[in-house]
Amino acid sequence: MRYRQMFASIAAAAVVAAVAACGPGPAEKANGEVKLQMVESLTNPTRTALLKKLIGDFEAKNSGIKVQLISPPTNQADQKIQQMLQSGKGVDVLEVRDTTVGPFSTNKWIYDMAPELKGWDGLSALTENALKVTQQGGKSYMVPYGFYGLSLFYRKDLVQQAGFSGPPKSWSELVEQAKKINDPAKNRYGYSFRGGLGAGGNAVAIISGYVIDELNHDNAFKLTNGKTIFSSPKAVDALNLYLDLFKNASPKSSVSWGYPEMVQGFTSGTTGFLLQDPEVIATVKESKTIKEDQWGTAPLPVGPTGKAAQPLANAGWGVAQGSEHKAEAVKLVKFLTSGDAAMTFSKENSLVPILKSAADDPYFKDGPWASYVAMNSSPDTYIVVTQPRGVPWSTEWGNKSDADVQKLITGKAQPADILKGWDDYWTQKWAGK
Amino acid sequence: MIRSETLAGRIARFGGLGICLLFTVFPLYWILVTSFKAPGTIFAYPLKYWPGDFSLENYRGLFSQSNFAVFLVNSLIVSTVAAALSTVISLLSAYVLARFEFVSKGAVMGAFLVTQMIPGFIALGSLYILMTKLYLVDSRWGLVLVYVAVSIPLCTVMLRGFFENVPASLEEAAMVDGCSRLSALFRVLVPVMTPGLAASYIFNFVNCWNELFLSVTLLNSDNNKTIPAALNGFISSYNIDWGSMSAAAVLSIVPTMVLFAFASRYIVEGLTAGAVKE
Amino acid sequence: MAVLQTERPVRRPPARTSHRRQFTGRTALVLLAFMLPAIVFVALFTYYPLLNGIQMAFRNYNLNDLSDTSWVGLKNFRTLLHDDMFRGTVKNSVVWVVGSLVPQFLIGFTMALWLRRKFRFRGTYQALVFFPWAVSGFLIGILFRWMFNGEFGVVNDLLMKAHLIDTPVPWLADAKYAMVAVIVANVWYGVTFFAIMILAALQSVPDELYEAAAIDGAGKVRTLFGITIPSIRTTLALTVLLRVIWIFNSPELIFGMTGGGPANATHTVTSYMIQVTQEGDYGRASAMGVMVVFVLILFAIFYLLAIRPRTPRTTARKVAG
Repeated sequence: MRYRQMFASIAAAAVVAAVAACGPGPAEKANGEVKLQMVESLTNPTRTALLKKLIGDFEAKNSGIKVQLISPPTNQADQKIQQMLQSGKGVDVLEVRDTTVGPFSTNKWIYDMAPELKGWDGLSALTENALKVTQQGGKSYMVPYGFYGLSLFYRKDLVQQAGFSGPPKSWSELVEQAKKINDPAKNRYGYSFRGGLGAGGNAVAIISGYVIDELNHDNAFKLTNGKTIFSSPKAVDALNLYLDLFKNASPKSSVSWGYPEMVQGFTSGTTGFLLQDPEVIATVKESKTIKEDQWGTAPLPVGPTGKAAQPLANAGWGVAQGSEHKAEAVKLVKFLTSGDAAMTFSKENSLVPILKSAADDPYFKDGPWASYVAMNSSPDTYIVVTQPRGVPWSTEWGNKSDADVQKLITGKAQPADILKGWDDYWTQKWAGK
Repeated sequence: MIRSETLAGRIARFGGLGICLLFTVFPLYWILVTSFKAPGTIFAYPLKYWPGDFSLENYRGLFSQSNFAVFLVNSLIVSTVAAALSTVISLLSAYVLARFEFVSKGAVMGAFLVTQMIPGFIALGSLYILMTKLYLVDSRWGLVLVYVAVSIPLCTVMLRGFFENVPASLEEAAMVDGCSRLSALFRVLVPVMTPGLAASYIFNFVNCWNELFLSVTLLNSDNNKTIPAALNGFISSYNIDWGSMSAAAVLSIVPTMVLFAFASRYIVEGLTAGAVKE
Repeated sequence: MAVLQTERPVRRPPARTSHRRQFTGRTALVLLAFMLPAIVFVALFTYYPLLNGIQMAFRNYNLNDLSDTSWVGLKNFRTLLHDDMFRGTVKNSVVWVVGSLVPQFLIGFTMALWLRRKFRFRGTYQALVFFPWAVSGFLIGILFRWMFNGEFGVVNDLLMKAHLIDTPVPWLADAKYAMVAVIVANVWYGVTFFAIMILAALQSVPDELYEAAAIDGAGKVRTLFGITIPSIRTTLALTVLLRVIWIFNSPELIFGMTGGGPANATHTVTSYMIQVTQEGDYGRASAMGVMVVFVLILFAIFYLLAIRPRTPRTTARKVAG
């Protein structure tokens, strides 16, 4: 009976597999060796490879410490990290971001490294901004590895062909140029619109530029009069323009574009403009479709009054409260945020660097970095503001605002409705519901 | 035969069946074709319905750029073992539920059936903490145990249906001859029920092979990941590489398809007989 | 549970009742030992985390701030019922379940009728058509996401070749079409399940019934509604019930295909639950799960009562004690 034979062979396979699985796995611990588990959250393959290389250097310098890097997919990484931290096991070093440092420290999940960092010479090498993040509120829950700030990636050739002498300076110029470049028949579009994951953040960027004169710089979702930025009538103008940008200068499918798609749109030569973090510089450089001389970066577009709000986002490394190897874990954090390792990470991952010495490094002056230098040198035009990114509801807000932007651009809601909803949302949240 | 068929009816029937076949097979064909296109030509316009220059580049890339071989082996280990364990355990419980009456029987069956109505996400957080306490997070063994637990209810219901096709006199005779109940079960009933057991095993295997959210939750490191967990990583990562993605999809679909096609008849029999019984 | 009796598959022997006897002592212990592994596994890895999850539904349990996880009664449920987003997902769930189920059922039923008559390669045909069932919902989502791609998708290409559309349709980017696309994918997934389940039932209907009907001069339609459907109504009903539960409860396809987007147009209750879990609000996510379980159980009970045969057969229920 052939079924019996089949069943027997399956059973045999089961036994073989069981025996195979019983063998020592890679997680076995050697004698006296400390094994650190490290988790990243802004996972991308290039960066993971870079981290592994740096970890290799660390292991070479510190025999007796082995590091295992865990790289969950970005959109599920925070959940995974939360689960690990809550269970108190399986993580020693982790990526902590401005959006997660609040919740993680509230729950006493991450370790205050202040005592270990005292007298560390790495501190004095940090830029002022980086030091501020490291010592927020007198606690050191994280040491940043870099800053993310928006700038405008643009196609030099397309801008020129459209008859403009240079990249747009303001949002309205951006829309004008993008519309000129837009030519769906040739599969060419003006703007890499962010309609998917992260859509809300970009909408807030344009709104901030419009209300900049009344903006509370320490809480960039508030106006100086204490109300939310979404309550301002100027915010309606901003969203109307933003809607125009989508309707008349962006591909229809960008409704669902998140980070990978919008970057891919630019690197594949489909779109003319892309608003993104410096992190993308490395990716665009690798593009085979557009060449070095075809693109550049320009400062973040300004609002009608000629100013822009630059919300510097940051991310770094921290240590789990439940770690049984805190000393070694802190050692790894220090290693990654100082000296060559920190510089390499900033360069290859193209982040706004954390080290003072980067100011003298020619790498951060030329080409695509020029716009960052420009923004840094005119702090009155490109005002660095702090957004309330660490609030417990930041993920919820992210999802809500993304969905609302999608409603806006798919015509299911008007700018005023959306802004009303956002105004209510934040007012209620700040009032403690 | 039932009733003679007119020529027009015949044409309509086979035409209809043909369309259904096309509808079913085309997506699978399309992913297969995509996987054999050279990386650059996937986005080429107009679309090619036959890979002009047949290329294995996507498959090569899949194995060289990711640990796909490791994922495959992990999936194989986890599914094989979990399916075997759950089939054996379900065999025992199905036997009891099929052959005997006892006070809490309704409750047990009810509790099993309710598991089918639970959205898994409600339990994931607690499950993770439980597994940490048992030192079973990021472990293929841990995943096996959970898969066994998840497979048992439906598998029991299926096997119970098969048991009812086998007359009780069979194992009674064996027990009169001095066999214990356990050995009667394995020596007399199991051989008779082989098709049903094979079907249940394959059903469990395929379900474990395809399972996504538990594996994503419970596995962390690349060395332990199964194929669905890895695919989830591919798709949410930075840049969806449709070429490698389709190659990975083909590799993960083919084994289960072969198994399922083979056992479909018995699986259905088990499901119809088992589900309707309660 | 329900009192139901299926139509017998042909090969089933009649003897069955004699063995259902009382037992005591040693036998009870042996039987307990047989049941124990299954019960332990299900209790430990399914029910323990489940109950743990359920209690979160009644607490302020948010991973973003665990400093206060006090009991809040039905607050999470109230919040949800007033949440437009949640109400939207309920509506989507209904569209998703009904929209998938009806075509699955109709096509599956028709296929089964067509397949009832033997023909050469019928076995091969069945095996081929059964393929989708072996693919995971997640992979199907990815597969169809690729086919429905707005720029390079094969669906648009085929439709344009057939001159049904002039310009590419942004299937997954437009809220108007996205639900259609995910439903098409789900129909693809589920049709064969119906076809094969119904075929199995059809094959158990004795030929004599049809012969008798033919002698009475019954037409095709009358035979279908007078004989075929009544004979297999139990299987039909149960297959539908199983499908409803599975379709409702499996967010994998949506997760892989659209992730609930665009603009939440394809978010069902269970896919939204994934999102809320990722946001860290376990309390609210659990409340959703509790509602789902509750609604499905209620649905199952009412449904089974509604389809119960008018004159229950006495053999079906025999629970001692």
